[in-house]
Amino acid sequence: MNLNYDKASIELPDAWRAKSPIFALVGVSCILIGVFCFFMAPSANGDRSGAFKFLTHSYLTNFIYILTFTLGALFFILVQFLTRAGWSSSIRRLAEIIMVLIPLIAVLFVPILVLLMSGNSDLYQWNSDKIESAIVAKKAEVYLTKEFFTIRSLVYFAFWILTSTWFYRLSRAQDESGDTELSTVRQKWAGPLIMLFSLSVTFAAFDWVMSVDPEWYSTIFGVYLFAASMMAFFAMMIVISQLLQKAGKVQKWITVEHYHDMGKFLFGFVMFWSYIAFSQLVLYWYANIPEETHWYDVRLQGNWWYLSYGLIAFHFAIPFLGLMSRHVRRHRTGLLFWAVWILVAHWLDMTFLIMPNAGLGASHFFPMLGHLLGGIGMLSIFAAFFLVRAAGVPLVAMRDPRLPEAMKYANPIL
Amino acid sequence: MSEHKPRKSSEPKPPRAFGWMAEYADEHDLLVAARKVRDSGYTKTDAFTPFPVHGIDEALGIKPTILPFMVLCAGFTGLCTALLMQWWMNGVDYKYIISAKPFGLTPASIPVAFELTILFSAFTSFLGMIALNQLPKFSNPVFTNARFDRATDDRFFLYVNAADKYYNRESVKELLSGTHPDSLDEVLEDTTPSALPRGIVLTALLLVLAGLIPAMVILNMRASFSDLPRLHVFFDMDFQPKKKAQQPTTIFADARVMRPQVKGTVARGQLDEQDPFYLGYDPSKLSAMNGGQSVFYVATQPPQDGQPADAKPADAAAAPAEPAQKDATPAAPAAQAAGTPAPGAGLNLPWIDKLPIEATEENMKLGKTKFETFCSTCHGYAGYGDGLVHKRADALAQGYWLPPTSMHIDRVRKQPVGQIFHTITKGQGKMASYATVLTPKERWAVVLYVRALQLSRNASVEDVPVESRAQLEPSK
Repeated sequence: MNLNYDKASIELPDAWRAKSPIFALVGVSCILIGVFCFFMAPSANGDRSGAFKFLTHSYLTNFIYILTFTLGALFFILVQFLTRAGWSSSIRRLAEIIMVLIPLIAVLFVPILVLLMSGNSDLYQWNSDKIESAIVAKKAEVYLTKEFFTIRSLVYFAFWILTSTWFYRLSRAQDESGDTELSTVRQKWAGPLIMLFSLSVTFAAFDWVMSVDPEWYSTIFGVYLFAASMMAFFAMMIVISQLLQKAGKVQKWITVEHYHDMGKFLFGFVMFWSYIAFSQLVLYWYANIPEETHWYDVRLQGNWWYLSYGLIAFHFAIPFLGLMSRHVRRHRTGLLFWAVWILVAHWLDMTFLIMPNAGLGASHFFPMLGHLLGGIGMLSIFAAFFLVRAAGVPLVAMRDPRLPEAMKYANPIL
Repeated sequence: MSEHKPRKSSEPKPPRAFGWMAEYADEHDLLVAARKVRDSGYTKTDAFTPFPVHGIDEALGIKPTILPFMVLCAGFTGLCTALLMQWWMNGVDYKYIISAKPFGLTPASIPVAFELTILFSAFTSFLGMIALNQLPKFSNPVFTNARFDRATDDRFFLYVNAADKYYNRESVKELLSGTHPDSLDEVLEDTTPSALPRGIVLTALLLVLAGLIPAMVILNMRASFSDLPRLHVFFDMDFQPKKKAQQPTTIFADARVMRPQVKGTVARGQLDEQDPFYLGYDPSKLSAMNGGQSVFYVATQPPQDGQPADAKPADAAAAPAEPAQKDATPAAPAAQAAGTPAPGAGLNLPWIDKLPIEATEENMKLGKTKFETFCSTCHGYAGYGDGLVHKRADALAQGYWLPPTSMHIDRVRKQPVGQIFHTITKGQGKMASYATVLTPKERWAVVLYVRALQLSRNASVEDVPVESRAQLEPSK
């Protein structure tokens, strides 16, 4: 294959890697200011006892927020090999780079494990000796114990890290050798791995997010988080591709056809998320059983009313109409706008999933400001991680056997 | 066809020309030719291909269809229709309470809104496609050319319509010849006679008339009477070799279809009919008193000692239901409630007054669980007759609701345990039998729990063990 390509156009210079500490620093300072904000606001009962609880929930929310991008990327890579897709070959390396951020992001989970080991029950109420609810006590007997929880978390991370780094290494090895066998191996393993992936994401969602309210359960919850992950991943891909192209990289490798396809996926997963989110709601709505509805009770009738119903418009109706037109999906600025919109909506969605369980103090402003700063901080850390991984690596898998197919593909005019 | 029906040159009027049609061997030639025709400014063109050709729309210069926009509008109309409909029906016109959910638009309105959006969109896209393509069209002038049959097989055709505003017969011919078609024909009007052959018309008419005959026969039969017996299409289903209850038979000497119990056998569950544990009363004592009539008294449960039945709930929650009892609805329970002494009043029926199960912690828990599952919906958790069903029925204020009995009125408090057990087993008034959902042991456990509830509302210091009485003193 022709290897005469302009290296400068598809690689980030090492100087970019040097910027990652700046991003990391900005991220950490944002989070610290956020923590300060939590302790600024008095809780409902006047003191600041609720601040730490709010902090733990906020941290988990923002951690899950950036983790979902990488999980979406991992699934995307697996499914590209499973279906032997050609169209995505030129954007696949970017997705692979997002995918191999998992080992770095896993480090951010350590504080949660430390919190758990110290016996704190602010975030996970089941991590306590005195459990009032009989339902929770039963779950906390075997499944929701801090030891078993830690083991499970490590298993999820181990699986994701092994899968993502292995696939990434094979892809990088293909850069050197151009061996098509490396693609075949990945195609062969994509099927089994995708099954394990779906299990791991489902249980991770149950353990990390759903057990924040240990009395409540929803069997569709894993799919909910998966749908949100995929949607968030495509939004992130569109944003990153456009930022790189604005910096003069990968100009001719990511065409309007690829944006169109990513836009279609984004549109599709916006609808899929809505479908799953509504499926979860409507069953509880009809059944109207107290132990199932209390989760929605806090969200639909309490202080979080605006956010929960706002998601219908902000997370579904508006982007649905906005992304519906083919002209928008083929328009760079239009697509970028909706991708950024979705990134914000996804953050609100994660907030909707976790934060109502932290309660809301007498003052809303400072806790929410702190939470928002935490989200910005985590995104900044995500950017730092991305630069660490992306610098010095070709941003297109130049010797992928399906690359010509990706460059030739055009969406039919309907 | 053109070979079969050569046109006569002597015809007074030449056939109408509809345009030119060029034929190509593959889609690449067609695309090249189509672009050339498009660039020459012709818009009333069409291409006919055996399979969908990518890029043909762009090559022919076909503008994007407005169908998606129509579908979008229809979708919005459907959405608004559904939301308006549900808001009106469930929020304004016919407010119907469904498990205390709010009226009007709720998350439960979304599925209907979704369905109508899809329905309107689907109909619009389907019917809109038909309309925009001006279908159904039974004939097209291009069909007159016999070569055109291969458009569904292996040939590609480009057609320039004479209706185009720049159409000029000679220049179009020249333009298409320049694209090197395999053949170039003018599309001419079909001059074969269009009248149907007489035989076909006659046959069709006859068939239509013949088709009316069955309908006429049926109509005639529906309007007239017949003495003939019914036609048994499935004879063996109408007359089955089996016996129904109370019919005679020749198989047994006594000619009875229904067989009495064989001597010396015991039917399943038959022994329970003799056991007070399953009945709540002593059946041998019952049959000894007052002949067979006493069984009826057990079934109707007359009040003991001639005391009038008291159906009024003890708490104030049932106050709005008061008119219900004064209403002129002479239902049996209402009559009882009004204080008419039932027949058999004053009899001392042989109810069991000692619980056949131990008053253990385990039984008490069982009774509590069962009471809260099955009884509390009407009788309330504390047994005051103020359960959710009662509250709801009361709120509806329909006038004929008889409140559930409170456990804490004198009448119930004085009832022997056997009578309470019997009430659970057989039901009473509006209350149904719970024998199918509660085993006898569970029913006794519920009785135990009811007794505990009654004691909890009406206990004195003497009921507390002496050594525990000190705990009752208010701590200072």
